[in-house]
Amino acid sequence: MRKRKILAAALLLTTLLGVAFAQRLRVPYSSFPFREDEEQPMPSDAGDRTEFQFARLQYPNWRSNDRTWSARGAWSIDYPKADRQFVQGVRRLSRLNVSSVEQVVNLASDEIMNYPWAYVVEPGHWDLTDQQVKKLREYLLKGGFLMTDDFHGTMEWDIFMLSMQRVFPDRPVVDLPKTDPIFHVLYDLDDKFQIPGIVNYPFDQTHEYDGFTANWRGIYDDHGRLMVAICHNMDIADAWEWADSPSYPEKYASLAYRIGLNYIVYAMSH
Amino acid sequence: MFELFFQQPLSVFQKGTFVFQSGWPVWLLVVLVVAGGGVLGWFGWQKTRAAGWPLLRSAALWVMQSTIVALLLLMLWQPGISVAMLKKQQNVVAILLDDSKSMGLTDGGVVRRDEMVKTLDSGLLDELKKRFQVRFYRVSDHLERTEGHKNLKGEKTSSRLADGLKQIAAETGSLPIGGIVLMTDGADTSGGIDRDTVNALKGRQLPVHTVGYGREQYDRDIALVDVQAPVRVLADSRLGVQVILRQRGYAGQKTKLSLKDGDKTLTSKEITLAADGSAQTETVLFNAGPAGIRTVQVSLGLLSNEENPGNNQMTRLVQVEERKPRVLYIEGEPRWEFKFIRRALEEDKSVQIVTMLRTTQNKIYRQGVNNPKELEGGFPATPEEIFAYEGIIIGTVEASYFTPTQQSLLRAFVDRRGGGVLFLGGRASLSDGGYAASDLKDILPVVLGDRKGTFVRDKAHLELTTNGSENLALRIEEDAARNNERWKKLPFLADYQNPGTVKPGAIVHVNALTESGKVPLLITQNYGRGRTAVLATGGTWRWQMSQPLEDKSHEMFWQQLTRWLVAGTPGTVLASTTQTVFTDDPKIPLRAEVRGKTYELQPDGQVEARVSGPAGSAQTVVLQPDPVHPGVYTGEYAADQPGSYLVEMVASHNGERTGTDTIAFRREDGVAESFHTEQNRELLERLASETGGKYWKPDNTKKLPDEIALSEAGISSREIRDLWHLPVFFLLLAALRAGEWLLRRRWGAV
Repeated sequence: MRKRKILAAALLLTTLLGVAFAQRLRVPYSSFPFREDEEQPMPSDAGDRTEFQFARLQYPNWRSNDRTWSARGAWSIDYPKADRQFVQGVRRLSRLNVSSVEQVVNLASDEIMNYPWAYVVEPGHWDLTDQQVKKLREYLLKGGFLMTDDFHGTMEWDIFMLSMQRVFPDRPVVDLPKTDPIFHVLYDLDDKFQIPGIVNYPFDQTHEYDGFTANWRGIYDDHGRLMVAICHNMDIADAWEWADSPSYPEKYASLAYRIGLNYIVYAMSH
Repeated sequence: MFELFFQQPLSVFQKGTFVFQSGWPVWLLVVLVVAGGGVLGWFGWQKTRAAGWPLLRSAALWVMQSTIVALLLLMLWQPGISVAMLKKQQNVVAILLDDSKSMGLTDGGVVRRDEMVKTLDSGLLDELKKRFQVRFYRVSDHLERTEGHKNLKGEKTSSRLADGLKQIAAETGSLPIGGIVLMTDGADTSGGIDRDTVNALKGRQLPVHTVGYGREQYDRDIALVDVQAPVRVLADSRLGVQVILRQRGYAGQKTKLSLKDGDKTLTSKEITLAADGSAQTETVLFNAGPAGIRTVQVSLGLLSNEENPGNNQMTRLVQVEERKPRVLYIEGEPRWEFKFIRRALEEDKSVQIVTMLRTTQNKIYRQGVNNPKELEGGFPATPEEIFAYEGIIIGTVEASYFTPTQQSLLRAFVDRRGGGVLFLGGRASLSDGGYAASDLKDILPVVLGDRKGTFVRDKAHLELTTNGSENLALRIEEDAARNNERWKKLPFLADYQNPGTVKPGAIVHVNALTESGKVPLLITQNYGRGRTAVLATGGTWRWQMSQPLEDKSHEMFWQQLTRWLVAGTPGTVLASTTQTVFTDDPKIPLRAEVRGKTYELQPDGQVEARVSGPAGSAQTVVLQPDPVHPGVYTGEYAADQPGSYLVEMVASHNGERTGTDTIAFRREDGVAESFHTEQNRELLERLASETGGKYWKPDNTKKLPDEIALSEAGISSREIRDLWHLPVFFLLLAALRAGEWLLRRRWGAV
């Protein structure tokens, strides 16, 4: 009997402690300082024709239980605020003639060939068709450049590679050395660190899933020029998107802008 | 017919002077003619008024009557013609017999040399000997006196007619030469009769009478007329050779045109022969390969029953240079054109592309530099820095970015250095970049307008102009017609710029077809020693992204355009000679233009030409300064042996070597004699006409001695030949009188 009482007390204590711990971790939505679906105003010079336009690649989703992003498409995460806020920085910090608005491109037609630099978000959720794989390969070999961002951990890497290995079955993905020109073309980016997404707020940690370490990887062409720049285990787009928020740490936003600028200038000079 | 009416050959009138023998003053003749006309006119006027004739009838009768009176008066004054005649047996006639191999050719079963002997033996020689002293010379690769006309050998493989004539004019200064008879087929292998030779003959008033042998044109022959190949090209560049040929009897048939270097076939293609007698130009492209001398043998496949199979092959020498010109490309902002031009030129082993890209207001990203110091301070600001490049590409960079010093250096780079500058279109280029108000406007091939906003990001399709079609640097396809079509089908440009008005002397190669109309897109010009060009777009990158992966049109265009930009950029020493293949001529003129480090002419240096020839022969020729052209040094080398020669010209100044340049040439003997084997009547007629002689056909030389006699060249005397009794006068008088009678009868006046 006494033994039963002790067991009941322990169970109660565990339940109470569990509830209390759970209460401590929960972040109420009302206190979350970021809203993904804010309406973005159309810039007045959106119709201007420019040399460079931020091209966001649209792709079909991996079979997923995530109904929200499956419906809208993972390609559109952070869209369009990240794109527009980033190009404001590009305008201010370089001599590049850049459009104030982004252009969504896909691999269904040759339209992507007019945009030799393209950005893809969350490729850990993409699932390219054979035709899209072929088009992407052609785009890259002709001189196109692809920047990938915001996918984390082993599982998303594996999904990313399922399509990318079909694009380039013959080319390895390699870790980019610090000396690669892409890290020096405009800014010297010798000290890079993991850039967290908003889900990491208040940024006690910077990783998601098992993606503890930021991976700066890429795929080269036959002449040693990068065709695909892979930013794995980081969320550069979030840093662009929330750079105007006092709650997002400046050091991450600053690095994200420098990375983006370097990647664009590299793509336009190599 | 002429002599029937005028009783003298035409040449008498051409060479003689008109005189009156009566001794009466000429003014009296004029007064009497005018008075006679006046009297006849007065009487005619009276009659007209009385008879009420129309004025026109009276005028017609007056003209005829006045002409009769004038003619009668003229005859009374005893007109005559004064001509110089060679004195009998006191003058020498030089007979030049062509003793070259081509005179052994057979035309219609008769050997030309035999026909020449026959001409002399059939009375001409006897007649000449009656009036003149006759001297025989034979001419082939040299001139030599000979005793008769029957010991000709025809062994020599060249005919240097001009040299022979010049030698006669020079060597017979003390002899009373009355005229020269040149018996030949006119197949001169030294390039024709030059102006010096004609002037030497005219200076001595020596008429050259030419007797032409051989058929003037073959019935069945295909011949190379000329092969035009660049003298120097960069290694691994695409080389264009233009082959000009002519044929008779094979129109519409096919033959093979092939180019070989030794045993190695460079390229070949089948061609369809054009109409009989018309010049046909074929362009052949091939890769020049690695550095070295290419002996390009161009040959046309033999066709059945060709009458002259020896004119189907020609040789040209092409020097494939080892140098790797450096091209500096400055771009004012990151743009796609920059990336894709860099990629295209990085693939080209013939040039080294060095770029500077303004990424931010104060940052320049350099690529392709030789060392970290190169371009560290920005765009070159000293002659030594900028002259290290051979070509410069200026992207969308506003003119004010260049300091006044840099602008004048850019000008000197083209004008003095001999470099090439290409201006690209862009939002800070040309008019939009303020170039119209800068010193750089002078070197542009266009006159810029003051208007801004000339750069637009609109579509532009392309079209080659006539000049563009002929420009081998714009050949994406080998065949010209296919190339034109290819250009029309290229993906549209991402943007274009209106470059303004094309300067006189500049050439438009490509037009942009835009919604606003046709706009010149690629314009080039020579400026000083160099060349400049405008390519008014920054949007050719679409050719790379919008065509199949294996398409190379973008790369080819940029590589060929850049090679054009730098291929003609000389070093501090520019060696040259007059041609790459010297046929039957051992005298090789050598020339070097020498400049210092800053490319100022260097007139007080020393230049040596180190010639290495066939079988390891070597010789050094010291070139002498040209007194007329400072910085130019000339000399001559005697290349006696056939084969290929290499000449390294080394310039030094105050004992210090300042630069070198290498050229190559080839000596050939006996090849030219196989070409132009038809009788060159045009050359013989021109020579005769310019020296006061006449062209004769072999079977019609009966009057040649008379013509020779009409000469002032030797010992001559003047004689006057009467003209008053010319049949033409009496015929004219009778015709006028009869005409008057007939008119009067028609008008009822008789």
